[in-house]
Amino acid sequence: MVKHSTLILALLLASGQTLAEGQVDADGFTNPLQNLQFNPGLDQQEFERASSDALQVYDPLESWNRRVYHFNYRFDQWVFLPVVDGYRYVTPNLVQTGVHNFFNNLGEIPTLVNSVLQLKGKRAMNSTARLLFNTILGVGGVWDPATKMGLPRLSEDFGQTLGYYGVPAGPYLMLPLLGPSNLRDTGGLVADYSLENAVNYLDVADASRSNPGITVLRVVDTRANTGFRYGQLNTPFEYEKLRFFYHESRKLKIAD
Amino acid sequence: MPSLARLAALLGGLVFCASAMAADVDAESYGYPLANPFEATIATTPPELRPTLPADGDIRQRDYSVRLRPDREFELLDNFWPVTKLRYRLAQQNGRAPLIFIISGTGAHYASGTTEYLKKLFYGAGFHVVQLSSPTSYDFMAAASRSATPGYSPDDADDLYRAMQAVRAQHPKLEVSEFLLTGYSLGALHAAFVSQLDETRRAFDFKRVLLLNPPVNLYTSVSNLDKLVQTKVQGIDNSTNFYDLVLGKLTRYFNDKGYLDINEAMLYDFQQSKEKLSDEQMAMLIGTSFRFSSADIVFTSDLLNRRGLITPRDYRITESTSLTPFFQMALRCDFDCYIAEQLMPMWRARYDGGSLNQLIDKSSLYALEDYLKGSDKVSVMHNADDLILGPGDIGFLRRTFGDRLTLYPRGGHCGNLNYRVNSDAMLEFFRG
Repeated sequence: MVKHSTLILALLLASGQTLAEGQVDADGFTNPLQNLQFNPGLDQQEFERASSDALQVYDPLESWNRRVYHFNYRFDQWVFLPVVDGYRYVTPNLVQTGVHNFFNNLGEIPTLVNSVLQLKGKRAMNSTARLLFNTILGVGGVWDPATKMGLPRLSEDFGQTLGYYGVPAGPYLMLPLLGPSNLRDTGGLVADYSLENAVNYLDVADASRSNPGITVLRVVDTRANTGFRYGQLNTPFEYEKLRFFYHESRKLKIAD
Repeated sequence: MPSLARLAALLGGLVFCASAMAADVDAESYGYPLANPFEATIATTPPELRPTLPADGDIRQRDYSVRLRPDREFELLDNFWPVTKLRYRLAQQNGRAPLIFIISGTGAHYASGTTEYLKKLFYGAGFHVVQLSSPTSYDFMAAASRSATPGYSPDDADDLYRAMQAVRAQHPKLEVSEFLLTGYSLGALHAAFVSQLDETRRAFDFKRVLLLNPPVNLYTSVSNLDKLVQTKVQGIDNSTNFYDLVLGKLTRYFNDKGYLDINEAMLYDFQQSKEKLSDEQMAMLIGTSFRFSSADIVFTSDLLNRRGLITPRDYRITESTSLTPFFQMALRCDFDCYIAEQLMPMWRARYDGGSLNQLIDKSSLYALEDYLKGSDKVSVMHNADDLILGPGDIGFLRRTFGDRLTLYPRGGHCGNLNYRVNSDAMLEFFRG
């Protein structure tokens, strides 16, 4: 009798173990869903709840924003992207990379200032080192030796600085040509732009004033290096999804 | 005695021949590193194990559009202007080459990640490539689908076939030596139906057709996907919803790391960190992405057919109209709800249809069993741990495809498509 019950116990234990490891049936199917823990009633509303919360982004100017979204979409398809394609077609890859590095190097100035404003010493040092190496060794920023030396490009803008000190995002804004933003980040954009003009690093800001081609090139370079395409989310609710992604990605950037 | 041995050998041989064995790849020699099917589905293959692909700059490609449903330009409301024509992407070689059509998976766009990857792979091998959106995707439903109620596979395949013919007609100068066809996930099921259609219509006469991770029983697959958002997830309470939970984990992970850097290698590192997601959380994440697809289908199908379930029948929508309330309503409807409320009624009205079981039979691979048994040009690659399969599905594939089934031990749902062993096998199949 005792022997029997130990045998049964052993069998139970053994079967319990195989269940936990997952059974492979005769066809070789491992049935990955069998090991998941499900809600007993299968009536959990967590997806609905979370998604509904995600749609609650403060957007009092929604109907204006939506018009701008459609304007940007058209402008992108009919003007912006054809220009970017033309630029890619006529410019050798090496030159494109050089142009991109050059403007990135200019963008190191706001990153440096905003890292200091947020008292992020390590990041400010990273940015200073990048600025020095890339400007001197990289011939004015056309090459990017700093990244190869293990100094990654990290960007900080004034919108992030404001967020860091607790300024709320404010209403969501869809900016013409520039895309998703909010009141705080739009203010930040203006501040960073004025900063670049004031610093006038490598004389670019002054030169752009007399030669608008530089600004156009910078805009085209930015568009060429932004992966997003209107319509790529392929959903009737792209406006809502874009709004959510923008909101969350800014929160992530402010937190880091 | 020797005669007995000979008899045994003969019998053994007969048994062996009778069931042409599927090529089962064993786990040890396969070498795919992710044993967890949920991780594989989300993160796919680690970058260093992927095949070398041509750079974007080296691919001669453009997006084109075809007008398949001229009436939709008038029917569709203002803010649907981008989807009145069906867009697709063609990458062409210089001179004569085989042309391969790629059909995307559930809800996927022609330029979605997996389709782009397959394009690069086949373009690198010297094929012209056409990328098509899934019949369940927003743009295809609006621009190319006659019923705008996807799910009945024979009709979806018919819509696809017309689209493919229109694409071919748009490039009369493209020199094509032969036509090939592939699809992944739901797109693989569509590819099988398209291939059967082609046997009678003969516009392409496909030389080879490859099905990558197809659903076998469509209803099993959608039920599995619907069920994924019902997992018990730890860490959710009244103040923290599921997205907060995942984003909170990401925030802490990046804080530990020191800086924000989202890239492909990050996912593997993240799953090694203490913030890693549990199986239930990953299942929920996968389920979530499919629920967003079903919301798109529910909303678009209802609106195009003026059914009045989500959008009131005579509601005026302009470019400035908020769609958020409709989005919220559509999010409540999963695939099962879509089938019950929209697909079944439409199918019954159109075809004097019967029960749900009949609809499932006609829309799943079962409907093509005889055709697939006899068609040597159609092969299938699948994974033993695919989330969209149910018990018995692999048995069906074994019986139907015999040695034209390659079963990989790992990979989850489509996670190993960009593993070098798989990509080599795909190219070998098409080069034949």
